[in-house]
Amino acid sequence: MLRTEKLNKRLDAFSLREISLVVQPGDYYVLLGRSGAGKTQLLELICGLTPPDSGEVFLNGENITHKKVQHREIGLVFQDFALFPHFSVKDNIMYPLKIKGIPLAEKVRRVQRVAEEMNIRHLLLRMPGSLSSGEQQRVALARTLVTDPKILLLDEPMGSIDASLRDSIRRMLRRLNRNGQTIVHVTHDFDEAISLANRVGVIHNGRIIQEGTPLEVFNHPVNRFVARYAGIKNFFKVTFITNYRNCSGLTERRTKLKMPKGEYPSSGLLIIGSSEVLLSREGVPGMQMNNIHGRIDDIVPSATGYEITVNAGDYFYADITHREMEENHFVTGENVIISFRPEALRLVGETDNRNN
Amino acid sequence: MLYHPPCGVFCKVIPINIQLISERSVFNWVFTILASLVLLFIIAPLAGMFIHSSFSEISTTAADHEVQRSVWYTLAIAFTATLIFAIGAVPLAWIMAHRDFPLKRVAQGIIDLPVVLPHTAAGIALLGFISRDGLLGSVAQKAGILLINNGAGIALAMAFVSLPFLINAARDGFAAVPERVEKAALTLGASQTRIFFTVSMPLAWRSIVSGFIMMFARGMSEFGAIVIIAYHPMTAPVLIYDRFNTYGITSARPASIIFILVALFFFILFRVLATERRSTLWREEDASD
Repeated sequence: MLRTEKLNKRLDAFSLREISLVVQPGDYYVLLGRSGAGKTQLLELICGLTPPDSGEVFLNGENITHKKVQHREIGLVFQDFALFPHFSVKDNIMYPLKIKGIPLAEKVRRVQRVAEEMNIRHLLLRMPGSLSSGEQQRVALARTLVTDPKILLLDEPMGSIDASLRDSIRRMLRRLNRNGQTIVHVTHDFDEAISLANRVGVIHNGRIIQEGTPLEVFNHPVNRFVARYAGIKNFFKVTFITNYRNCSGLTERRTKLKMPKGEYPSSGLLIIGSSEVLLSREGVPGMQMNNIHGRIDDIVPSATGYEITVNAGDYFYADITHREMEENHFVTGENVIISFRPEALRLVGETDNRNN
Repeated sequence: MLYHPPCGVFCKVIPINIQLISERSVFNWVFTILASLVLLFIIAPLAGMFIHSSFSEISTTAADHEVQRSVWYTLAIAFTATLIFAIGAVPLAWIMAHRDFPLKRVAQGIIDLPVVLPHTAAGIALLGFISRDGLLGSVAQKAGILLINNGAGIALAMAFVSLPFLINAARDGFAAVPERVEKAALTLGASQTRIFFTVSMPLAWRSIVSGFIMMFARGMSEFGAIVIIAYHPMTAPVLIYDRFNTYGITSARPASIIFILVALFFFILFRVLATERRSTLWREEDASD
């Protein structure tokens, strides 16, 4: 188990503050944050390449804060792989084994085993400069895994990989984790986190602002920043009006949103997923349904269909499929009605104006 | 078609268009001429020296034992000085490339100092340091070594004026080694020493060797500092000066030619050896580019 306790580090541009996280054995922990959020620096603190200003790091119960990087048994794979350009693939992988003074036969056996696992046996005699980014990634992983690290740290492992190769790397990482390898993976990519993690931490301005399973984090984002990460575009800062019959939220531009019955604070931030916003010319019947009139502002093609922006005083974003578009032929400037169930509205933990 | 009086007929006149002589071609011409003049300036005196010397003069001088001895002596001392000082210069270069410390800029200034000093002044300074009353000289004398008028003193003079070439080239080489690669080696369990010898040195090798050759070449050709430390035993530059003073230019010229040829031979040989080694090291990667 990896545990950091209130790690602090002042860096040139910013600081890492009070970083406390727990990674259980077998976890696939994804640390999500924008570039420059301090993700790489946090990995360097964990593996001991830089010392923290204060705070502690524990690995399997042992305090390793002041242990030398060479003795921590933590593997780190850099974003640009950092292979030794003057060694062949085989010598790259053998490098850590030579340090440990392992007998030759054992060295060869271990290199072959890890090369088999990473599917790079055919590359063993090649030089790193002649490999593709995906191959270099697998060699870098092999070189780290051959040391049997207690925990594997990956710095933006997809960052330098061609899009077409990402799926195979993702599959390989999932397989590694299934076989029991504990992994901490930092990325700025929300999809990567969803597809790999069993736990996610969101890092922003040098702090971890939310932690949990991917579902928890993306269904209940603590603030606008995390919600944006989850791909949510519809945010409304509202004041809540509650009477004996119904509850509603009033946006700053006076749009009234019907809410499910319940207890609400006086004000808060409401979000709704673009896919839950329906678009039609006649609205959706139902007493409780939200039906709001607006005008189509923009239509942008997306991977699955179209994203339509509707100006209804507030801006609403709706995702519609190709089929819906073919049936309705929406055009820019047209008057439409946007509809959604009150239950689709989610109250975000805090009203946070700073992280737009 | 225009009417052209000299021809008396209508003929096609091609007007000279100033735009045709493009700015680019003027630029190319001017730069080519200026560059050629500089190259000519370097090569002309050397070529002239060869033209003015007969083959018999050169072969007689080449057979002269004093000349032979001084040439080999110069090469040997320059090589030894470079080799010995590299033991300290390479770590210094590594520190300059990798570490930040107070007064680092001052340290860099000190490294560059020998390049800007007049070499005779450097010789005088060094003389004070290595003479019997000097700091190093007195220590050496206790160990039974006399540094003045001696190979050791000459080696020190050569090293003093030529060290910046090795240090700066090696520093650039170390600075070009990606920090991530060295960090990766740390996380794989390698000690600082192992990283230096297995990662930093091999990756900076090309620059180190190139600096080594430059330091060797510069040390070999040194005159000003050496002549103050040791007139005897004579290095080749001192011998050439001595011949010129005693017998005049006709005697100094063949000795100069021989020294230049031998120096060039070794300079080119080392360069070729260094390139060979580099190409073996990088062969497979280059092939992939």
